[in-house]
Amino acid sequence: MSRPLVVAALVAFAVLGLAPVLVMVARVAPHDLAGVFGQRSMALLGRTALLGGGAAAVALVVGLPYGFLVARTDVPGARTWRALGVLPILLPPLVIAMSWAGMTSLRGGLATTAVLGLCTFPLVALYAARAFERIDARQEEAALLAGGLRGVLRVELPLVMPSALFAACFAFVLAINDFAVPDYVSSIGPKWNVYADEVFASWRSSQSTGPAVAAALPLVFLTALALWPALELRRRNHLASFSSDFRRPGTLRLGAWRWPALVLVLAVLCVAAITPLGRLVFEAGGGTRGFSLAHMQAAFARALELGRSNLQSSLLFAAGAALIAVPIGLVLGHALERSGRAGRWLAAVALVPIAVPAILFGIGGIAVWNRPQTGVVYDSGWMAVLLFAGRFLPFAVLAFSAAVAMLDPRIEESARLAGARPARRLLWIVTPALLPAVFGSALLVFVLSMRELDATILVPAANSSVLFRLYNAVHFGRDDFVAALALLVVFFVVAPGLLWTFFARRRLEVLP
Amino acid sequence: MIAVLLEGLRVELGGRPVLGPIDLALERGTWTLLVGPSGSGKTTLLRAISGLCVPSAGRVLLDGQVASDGARIRIPAERRQVGLVFQGGGAGLWPHMTARATLDFVLACRGVPRSERAHKIGELIEMVELRGLEERRPGELSGGEAQRLALARALAHDPRMLLLDEPLGPLDARLRGDLIERIRDVHERRGLTTLHVTHDPHEVEHLADRSVRLELGRIQAEVEG
Repeated sequence: MSRPLVVAALVAFAVLGLAPVLVMVARVAPHDLAGVFGQRSMALLGRTALLGGGAAAVALVVGLPYGFLVARTDVPGARTWRALGVLPILLPPLVIAMSWAGMTSLRGGLATTAVLGLCTFPLVALYAARAFERIDARQEEAALLAGGLRGVLRVELPLVMPSALFAACFAFVLAINDFAVPDYVSSIGPKWNVYADEVFASWRSSQSTGPAVAAALPLVFLTALALWPALELRRRNHLASFSSDFRRPGTLRLGAWRWPALVLVLAVLCVAAITPLGRLVFEAGGGTRGFSLAHMQAAFARALELGRSNLQSSLLFAAGAALIAVPIGLVLGHALERSGRAGRWLAAVALVPIAVPAILFGIGGIAVWNRPQTGVVYDSGWMAVLLFAGRFLPFAVLAFSAAVAMLDPRIEESARLAGARPARRLLWIVTPALLPAVFGSALLVFVLSMRELDATILVPAANSSVLFRLYNAVHFGRDDFVAALALLVVFFVVAPGLLWTFFARRRLEVLP
Repeated sequence: MIAVLLEGLRVELGGRPVLGPIDLALERGTWTLLVGPSGSGKTTLLRAISGLCVPSAGRVLLDGQVASDGARIRIPAERRQVGLVFQGGGAGLWPHMTARATLDFVLACRGVPRSERAHKIGELIEMVELRGLEERRPGELSGGEAQRLALARALAHDPRMLLLDEPLGPLDARLRGDLIERIRDVHERRGLTTLHVTHDPHEVEHLADRSVRLELGRIQAEVEG
């Protein structure tokens, strides 16, 4: 890879992803640390860890069998359920929390854990599915001959677990750093504070970076604690996956268990995606006050009328972030995968933007950009674009690195021997070979940006985003308007992936 | 004249020595067979000569120019003008490019003007008998056709040296004979220096000027003619 290109990408990454974190850490004064490790903080941290552990456990228990069933077995409609299984991670967690809150009386910690676990289970399912598909057919056939389906599972589970646990670590990180769901659940029931709330409250009360950052340090520590094993598991998973004469495994026959398996898959899908979406449709049509199509039409017309500019802003912010993140992610992901030991350090550094709570990343962004020289940027929509790009760059970097890992190095080596310079190899050889990852990474950053609230909630640009509008409407607005607006957000989040699925021949590569 | 000179060449992978020390000189225009058991360092030696892996010690000289000195690369792989046919049926072919686009890309990298490329591509296609298959991608070619395309690609940038890493491996007996004749023809017409890794020296030893046997990363024997 061209050194100037890597340096340019590193500089861009440092400005967008690292600067917000480093600047705010530098602003912590010794006196800000007083009370950070006090009894109250530790109790909150314990509760947050419990939330993360619970959500990760839910994601693992639900996602692992789901991934196995839809990727490898003859469960009826497996391909459809596999595609639909991604839905919960695409939906803003706040939307799922809202819709379930209207249907159950479950509140507090259990509700928060369940919602965040269900929102993140597709991560485990996707990784498990991919890992199950990468087991060589001959290994599996040998296990099948030795011990049937049970034998297969006994041989394959240890091979798949690193992938599933890696995803569970990510589920843990997403859960402990979520602010919107615990905040919403607290607003409709007994207060159930978590650490991200504390960081937000600390910023709101003091409007000063130091105390907010200091307050967040234990959470950062907890996040890093989860990301480190995640990186190690990811590396191990890469090593265990492929050999050069890989043979794709066939479909496993479930026999009499085929229909119970279908029931299990549908139950998961109903709980995590279809029911919440159905509830939103019901609410948009008038809900308990009397459901009608005319009412729904009116609700959507109102949501489009009042939320059009917010939707436009969010679409622009998310598309802008994706456009920025893809080239940087491509160069760094390639460097990460192809630079041996240095790549391991680069992987650790690449995770820094997601190692801090989103709220804190936003505060860091304010510290970096809210100054006279960059005031124009800070006051404009660019602020949201830059924050999203910086925050979600790690996902693009890791997704590209995973895609490069599967690219035969000889493809690049032969271009090199043909005399192609690094930039030419990147443009003409690597990029076309990684097209599914290019679109996949762009989509990943786009979707994450569309559903993100926490990172930008404190900057002026957030006022024009659709999630901010939704967040306000949830607290003060009418149910039918909120539901219709939430469904519009869901549509725009899901539409690009659906278009690719229908019109492209190759499967998207989105997994970091 | 010496085309390739290796002086005390050593290669380590992950801190483990896998090759060397190797001292070897290849005369211009000669065909040298490189034989030895699996894991003896044959492919690593080709990669070190081509510049695809960084030696830990020793020197590689190409036509008298120092290409690498210790771990320092003086001439990067893209400027060594070395053609390499990888091990495996058409391995390393660019999956998104047709046969024509593959050769066009290599010629463009060499700076051949667009107006001359079509003619040169035609020559290369003719030489490896891929006429009619120009618009096919590697996935649409048979093992033999893919390997012939790999050969055409290796020759397209007018290399001064041809490195063959078991190029006949995945082919059946008829195709092996056909391809080796084609390579010999090119070797002689262009006066190339060829280093040919093979597991089956009997099949090609009549072509070679010399055989070098590697074991455990070191040269164990050299046989002339």
